[in-house]
Amino acid sequence: MEAPADTTWKGFSLAERDRRWEAVRKQAAKRGFDCILVPLCVDGRNQHLSLEQARGMRSDCRYLTLLENGAVILPTDGRKPIIVSDVEQGNDWLPEFRRVKRSWGEAMAEALIEYGMERARIGVAGLSRGRVVHGRAYAGVVNHTSYAEVLRRLPNARFEDDDDAVAYARYVKSGEEIDCLRRGAAIAAAGIEEMGRVARPGVTDAHLYTSVMRRMLELGSGYYPLALYTGPLDAARLPRFEDPPEGRTLQPMYRIHNEVDALWGGMIAQEQQGFMLGPIPEAWQRVADLQRDLFYAGLERLKPGIVYHEFIDSVNSFGKSRGMNSLILMHGRGYGDDGPLLTPQDRGERVREVVMQEGNVYIWKPIAMSDDEKVQYSWGGCVVLTKTGAVQLVKRTPGMISIQ
Amino acid sequence: MAYKPPTRAGATVYVWSNYSLQERDRRWKAVRESGAKAGFDCIFVPLGDGIDARYLTQLRCSSVVLPTDGRPPIIIADRSSSNTWAPEPWQTSREWSEPMAEALLELGMERARIGVAGLKGGRVSHVTSIDGVVNHGAFAAVMRRLPNARFEEATDILGFARYIKSAEEIASMRKAVEIAEAGLAELAAAARSGVDAAALYARVMARMLELGAEYFPWALTLGMSDGSDAKRFTDPPLGRRLKANSLAQTEMIAVFGTQIAEEDQAVLLGPIPEAWKPVVARQREIFDEGVKLLTPGRSCAELLEFSKSVAEKGGMKAKVRLVGRGAGDDGPVIGAMTQPDALKELTVEKNTLWLWRPTVTGADGKTRFTWGGTVLVTEKDGELLSKRAHGAISVA
Repeated sequence: MEAPADTTWKGFSLAERDRRWEAVRKQAAKRGFDCILVPLCVDGRNQHLSLEQARGMRSDCRYLTLLENGAVILPTDGRKPIIVSDVEQGNDWLPEFRRVKRSWGEAMAEALIEYGMERARIGVAGLSRGRVVHGRAYAGVVNHTSYAEVLRRLPNARFEDDDDAVAYARYVKSGEEIDCLRRGAAIAAAGIEEMGRVARPGVTDAHLYTSVMRRMLELGSGYYPLALYTGPLDAARLPRFEDPPEGRTLQPMYRIHNEVDALWGGMIAQEQQGFMLGPIPEAWQRVADLQRDLFYAGLERLKPGIVYHEFIDSVNSFGKSRGMNSLILMHGRGYGDDGPLLTPQDRGERVREVVMQEGNVYIWKPIAMSDDEKVQYSWGGCVVLTKTGAVQLVKRTPGMISIQ
Repeated sequence: MAYKPPTRAGATVYVWSNYSLQERDRRWKAVRESGAKAGFDCIFVPLGDGIDARYLTQLRCSSVVLPTDGRPPIIIADRSSSNTWAPEPWQTSREWSEPMAEALLELGMERARIGVAGLKGGRVSHVTSIDGVVNHGAFAAVMRRLPNARFEEATDILGFARYIKSAEEIASMRKAVEIAEAGLAELAAAARSGVDAAALYARVMARMLELGAEYFPWALTLGMSDGSDAKRFTDPPLGRRLKANSLAQTEMIAVFGTQIAEEDQAVLLGPIPEAWKPVVARQREIFDEGVKLLTPGRSCAELLEFSKSVAEKGGMKAKVRLVGRGAGDDGPVIGAMTQPDALKELTVEKNTLWLWRPTVTGADGKTRFTWGGTVLVTEKDGELLSKRAHGAISVA
């Protein structure tokens, strides 16, 4: 991998910006909106339900502007968007933008009025939980005070949930976006290699955590906390840490699980790998073998044009055919809180009829379980849907790694 | 309790939560008393105001309803989390509106006057979030469930409780400063011509993490000693290597015990140019004067006047930045852009913490020097918590 100092990647192109804007315009027009409003959203430090959800808080803004914070008014008739922001400086996409002065509500309302939206039908992104974005944010991501002020200043406009207009644009990735996710996945894989190199009985969890983060940062990843789980083989649930754990040391026959995420171009890739500090017990090996077969069977089934319920049902029934159990664990990849979200908490009822499309990118990490569900194992990595099927962004082999 | 918790929750995430129960009671008491004084029946910290919620619970993510009449608060948490401060919070998963509304109803707040934290930027907290931090969807749903209650802005109730630090918080800030200075030492040890700036950033971040810091991005402004080619990064820089006369200007930020320290330091790859010397000397003069002014009872307006009084001398220009420090987005902010109204009746208090960071630009308009650190206001004066020597660091 080239050193970050020598990277030839210069950021997303202007063509990519225009592609995104046009994709959102089309989605909005299809739904009959006069414009899309991406309002000020709460910051991820203050609304932090999970790493993914926190990163997703201002993700619609980042998608459309590459700015860390801002509001976007994007008319569907082809006019340029108005961007309101409080960041220090612009970027190649938006050298200039409107600075917030007294209040975000006032600035957003003025922009809407300037574009003649006093009586318009306005699609608001992030107002509620989405199907393919913001799946974890049941109450949405929008800042209350500024949005309430916008409503007050435009009493005759119709503000509606955007019905995933921005989300469906984000759902299908461009070549530039897939390249970024591939680079991120490669960095995450390097983080996993580092974990395998450092993890030994006697090593502190904090040192392990720090070593992996350092490796990914020195390869140019933006900071996205490693999620680290460690503990005895027979522990029912392992604690999760998103900062270096205090006062914990790895012991023989400890399990290590993780979600190793890396950012490139703001896009979040994830790879996942389990380790055992000792020989892998037979019961675990059986489950890991099932998980490997399930992973590859899923790759075979993932295809553009199929609806999620076909896939969910096939994954959830896969284990039974071997006298064991299985459960889907998968979600989209992108700027944060990408979906559809399919987890033990979120079984996919709301997305059963949603169609998979070429250019979707997922973290695919199904769970295999013993018959009594006491042994559970998940391994995964990023996959992209091509015309012909799913392809891993980084070629890695499912399984549990024994460190002895 | 009408509220029924969900059957499934994500994995519990553990965060630092080592403050004592006495500290919890001190904080709750401070907020209760201020809330009661302002005539509120309870203080409500809704979804979105994560910093204030963690201040009251030490939980990673929570919402709080704290009655001002002395009853214990109802705390809502997710992912099956609990701790010594909140051993049995109401549990939720991803749905927050319902448990928040139920908590208010359970405490009899149907017709109450409810002080809401985080609805707007405050005077000493959420200072950069001018429209607050509250989640619209969740808060609007709560208001619909309690149509006869009066929800009013109460950011400053929490803010002024946070403004005055306890001994435990000050000890955490001392540790955070120590970690940030260790990060600076690592930077000085690693910064050499030819080094990949991303690797440098990574090494410094790793050093602070292994010393126990929670993650918070530190900022590296990388350019040349003459001020050219400068760009600020809060993640590993791409496409940059250090070279002779590179200047690494840092805002080294470390978090310990939720207290956020910032130490500002210039590291130069090469000898300090002669042109820097008067600039560094002037900066030190202003810095030292400012520390002396940080005494209990001094009005913030007076500090603003001080910032104006040092703005120009001998062709050199100075911009100061004096900001309250604590758990995040703290204030007040005193600098060139501060409006006097924002500081009206605000005073420096004993046991407040500040980032003090003047920047001086030389008469040539190019040479610029910033040095800053964390100051604790004691009974008598300002105590600089930073231990390193003032000045730019020169490395070969």
